[in-house]
Amino acid sequence: MLKKLLLATAITTIGTGAALGECAFENDVQIKTLTAGFEAWKAVTDAMAECGNVQAELDQEFRTKQPAAFAANPALYQIGGVANGTIVPLLNDGTIRPLNDLVEQYGQDLGPNQLITIDGDIMAIAMMVNAQHLMYREDILTELGIDVPTTYDEMLAAAATIQEAGVIEYPLGATMATGWNLGEDFVNLYLGYGGEFTDENKMPTVNNEAGVKTLETMKALTEYMDPEFLVSDSTYLQKQFQQGDVAMANFWASRTGAMDDANESSVVGKVKMAAAPAAVEGGPPATTIWWDGMVIARNISDEQAEAAMKLIAEGLDEEMVKANNNAAVWLIDGFEVTPLAEGTIASMQGSAPAYPASTEMGLMHTALGNNVADFLIGSETAEQTLADVEAEYLTTAREAGLVK
Amino acid sequence: MSTARALEPPFPIKLANGAFIVFWLVLAAFSLFWVLVMSFKLPVDALSSNPLTVIFGPSTQNDVGGLGLIDIALGVVFFIAGYKLVESQTGRLARMLSLFGQIWLGWLLAAAVVLLAILVLASVVLPAVAGAFDWLLGGMPGLGWLVEPFIGATVQHYVAVWYDNAFYRNFINSMIVTGGVVTISLTIGTLAGYALARTGSNLAFWLLITALIFRALPHSVLVTGYLPPFIQSREILMPLWESPFLGWFFRLFSSEPPTLYGQPLAVIAVLVSINQPFTIWMLRSFFQNIPSELDEAARVDGCSHFEAFRRVIMPVMWPGVITTGLFSFLLAYNDYLVCALLLDAQSQTMVPAITQYFNRETTSSDTLEAIAAAVSITAPLFLLVMVFQRQIVSGLTAGAVKG
Amino acid sequence: MKRRTFFIFVGPSLALMLFFIALPLISVFVQSFYNSEGVFDAATVEECTPGFPNPICRSTTRMRPMLDENGNPLTESRFVGLQNYQTLLQPMAVAEAFSAAGRGLGGILNISFYKALRFTITFTLITLPLVIILGLAIAVTVNNASRAIRGPVIFVSLLPFIITPVIGALSIRWLFIGDGIMTNFLEWLLQHNVAMFAQGWTIEILMLFFRVWHVAPFAFVIFYAALQTVNQDALDAAVVDGASRFERFRFVIIPHLMPLIIFVSLIHLMDSYRVFEEIIGFSSQAHRISLQWLTFDLLTPDDAGNRAISRAAASSMLTMIGIVILLIPLVMRTWRDHRRA
Repeated sequence: MLKKLLLATAITTIGTGAALGECAFENDVQIKTLTAGFEAWKAVTDAMAECGNVQAELDQEFRTKQPAAFAANPALYQIGGVANGTIVPLLNDGTIRPLNDLVEQYGQDLGPNQLITIDGDIMAIAMMVNAQHLMYREDILTELGIDVPTTYDEMLAAAATIQEAGVIEYPLGATMATGWNLGEDFVNLYLGYGGEFTDENKMPTVNNEAGVKTLETMKALTEYMDPEFLVSDSTYLQKQFQQGDVAMANFWASRTGAMDDANESSVVGKVKMAAAPAAVEGGPPATTIWWDGMVIARNISDEQAEAAMKLIAEGLDEEMVKANNNAAVWLIDGFEVTPLAEGTIASMQGSAPAYPASTEMGLMHTALGNNVADFLIGSETAEQTLADVEAEYLTTAREAGLVK
Repeated sequence: MSTARALEPPFPIKLANGAFIVFWLVLAAFSLFWVLVMSFKLPVDALSSNPLTVIFGPSTQNDVGGLGLIDIALGVVFFIAGYKLVESQTGRLARMLSLFGQIWLGWLLAAAVVLLAILVLASVVLPAVAGAFDWLLGGMPGLGWLVEPFIGATVQHYVAVWYDNAFYRNFINSMIVTGGVVTISLTIGTLAGYALARTGSNLAFWLLITALIFRALPHSVLVTGYLPPFIQSREILMPLWESPFLGWFFRLFSSEPPTLYGQPLAVIAVLVSINQPFTIWMLRSFFQNIPSELDEAARVDGCSHFEAFRRVIMPVMWPGVITTGLFSFLLAYNDYLVCALLLDAQSQTMVPAITQYFNRETTSSDTLEAIAAAVSITAPLFLLVMVFQRQIVSGLTAGAVKG
Repeated sequence: MKRRTFFIFVGPSLALMLFFIALPLISVFVQSFYNSEGVFDAATVEECTPGFPNPICRSTTRMRPMLDENGNPLTESRFVGLQNYQTLLQPMAVAEAFSAAGRGLGGILNISFYKALRFTITFTLITLPLVIILGLAIAVTVNNASRAIRGPVIFVSLLPFIITPVIGALSIRWLFIGDGIMTNFLEWLLQHNVAMFAQGWTIEILMLFFRVWHVAPFAFVIFYAALQTVNQDALDAAVVDGASRFERFRFVIIPHLMPLIIFVSLIHLMDSYRVFEEIIGFSSQAHRISLQWLTFDLLTPDDAGNRAISRAAASSMLTMIGIVILLIPLVMRTWRDHRRA
């Protein structure tokens, strides 16, 4: 037993030794970061921490903390991790700084895809893209002679076949946990049906045919899901996949690596990726493309901003990508496209839209996340649910001063 | 004598009585016991849906190792003996350690001694004794089955939590916050409680009623009232620092105003305030039970109120203060909402820190580490009940119980 | 005690409570009548985001908040009277629900505030008797048990009470969620597929169970402590009078415990009225929400970064009204005691 323990320790030491790269410079300015907590962020913040004096805070609830923490003077964090949705509050409050000069000075290695530009100002440095796309159990589909679904109707038919064959009790999975996840599922499908969320006056326009169809498709999907779908977040769904409890789901690209993690997964090599199914025949994949990246706070000294930019460039270098290739679909040079990234790339090539991040969309997303569950548990009709969504959106939009 | 016999319950009632106690004990402890068991297994075993796999942990035993019958027997013996000793003897120890006649110092030292003793016993003595037994019995023919491991166990999740993820930092933060809250809360609470117990004025009455309403307030209401000013405190307080009259005074403490967000001291102040209503109500009823003739006599002898409080009341108030202190401890130690919203990662206490484990859990070993962290948080509370059990019951009998 | 001395003694405690409780409360009260809005203007901007293989640039119309000269967003604070309360209470919808064509109670329970109110009230009222009864039952049985086992039994009984509520809730959740072992046990028992987190009422049962489990030990300790001081003479007299076991309990022990039953009830009413941890621990927001959770949720920034501070203020004021109603009987009783003293 002691021998085993020693061996294990030795392996860990060697492992960390190999992963520990050299930082190009010694950082002597105290820098704090606040980012989300998934695998890719672990990799990037670890790479930045090698330079010294970096305190990384990884928190999936960063969204609720970030706006206030960046509005403080001096800002409580110098670097923030954002996505296209979460950058909106920071842009609105004007709490992040344009990075044009800093990028010119330190960002030689950044690719054009990484520069998030608004009216010529570089506001964020993107590092990866993320999207929900189809993951399926290749072995099950092949065995039952099912083609990889390209539309939601095909997906439902495939689910019915799998269930009838008695292979898996609940063949479908989804990230339908109430709140943000559920709202995101609605957004994906609704855009797939060609819906618009607001008109030019920012008045809500979801109570329409596309909205009803979206809700009905979601409900049809839940018929093939574990009945506890309203608590099913990404981690829950990942476990279901790993334990072989689901055969198909529209799931985040950032979770693909976990499917082939031999320590956790009983389905290594059996889960394959494809473009997200389309909502209508011949339409674009019903999903939205997200990017994740970093911003630098406005209310800090220029010296800190400079150090922050150097750290970002160091954290997003080729070395980090090579060591963590499967942690994300990186936008950074040196990323090697593996089968795990195929779903995202296929979705992007199929011209899936970018997530339409904006102030009004933020309000709409919240309203959707709060109300869609009422329809799925059957306590309201589709029209009623959508009317509730619009009412909640209007209340919050009026309070924010967005509509009069 | 005859009534005592008449009160002796008949057998069926005794049986029902015993059955109910057993039922309650299982209900009370099962979920905690289960979490404890899970925390010592590898993910494959711990998350299995078969309860026997969870308990015996075959893969854990295979991959890491396990415990034999004799190890478990030793553990149980140590636990029971330790419990008996702590439960019955800590009071005596505390009185022995009461340096300078300060009983609170005695309790503090006693708790530290018990903690240290348990740590040494559990990490050094117990494994050594178990190892000796294993070696001894393992060599004897026919007794090998006693030491043959049959329950898988691993401490790797605890190592990961405390060593790799530096949970001890959160532990230290928790201790700072909890210690600060208990000390300050009791100091100002005893003063207020004493004054309230010794006045019958309407003012005191309405003060108590207001405190009662404060006690009932949802904390989220208050906390979010603090959040924006705490984050902006540097800007808000700047005029004070720059004012020509008082500026010099504030600059004595620091050259510029502090950002209160993330400061343990600010959280301590908030938790003390939230806790004050309960503290003063509880201490007031304790002081009401101390006959007011005591301090009145001291006053007649020419003592001021403060002197009377210090010389006459302080020596007899400790049972009440210890009980109230325990409730303050629980409030501060268990707090989630206030600490989660007002502290940043560097000064985070244990309870909010654990929810961050859940927020970033993407692998099953993360789940198990969260469970190990949960058990780690519970362990000091476990110890607390062991040490103070008698004080809780007797303190409640003496004071608050009178309503 | 002179007023001056009184204030010196009470001073520090009072100052803290004023500064950290009363002050925020007053600001919340004022806030509930105001609304602060951002000032937006529409602008067409050119944005570039990652694409495959090249970035995609397009121009869109954006609502952009106007910034003041310091670069902070401009806001307009406006007195709105009772509008925030109206948004929460939706009197129109209530009137409609109770009109001839309305759906009655079912119609208003879809409105968040009433949904939360319904849950909070039933939660409080159902757990109250259960906590008292269970607490009493444990106290009486432990008191009847032999002295040797009382210590360990009290020790184990106290565990659910002292454990961190979030962790306690999680420990029960782990037993029941997905394929948890208790779910498997129930499935085996009922020979039926069980999903505890799929519908509201099962989650509600778990939440009720957790609260009773968590608080009953507190009731138990208080009652147990009081049982130690039962007047033995009165019990002896009852035995002489031939009172049965039940009659002795009903007419001697219960009256002795009555002030404490009231004490525990009040503490429990106050605490369960602000039920919150259960919602987080059991992730029940899709099915069941409470008043404190509603306030908390309104205060949490939405996806556009806005906190609905004004509505949250109104919802906390409404919660406050409930608390005051709850406390009136106690205040009156204490007032009478005070006058007598």
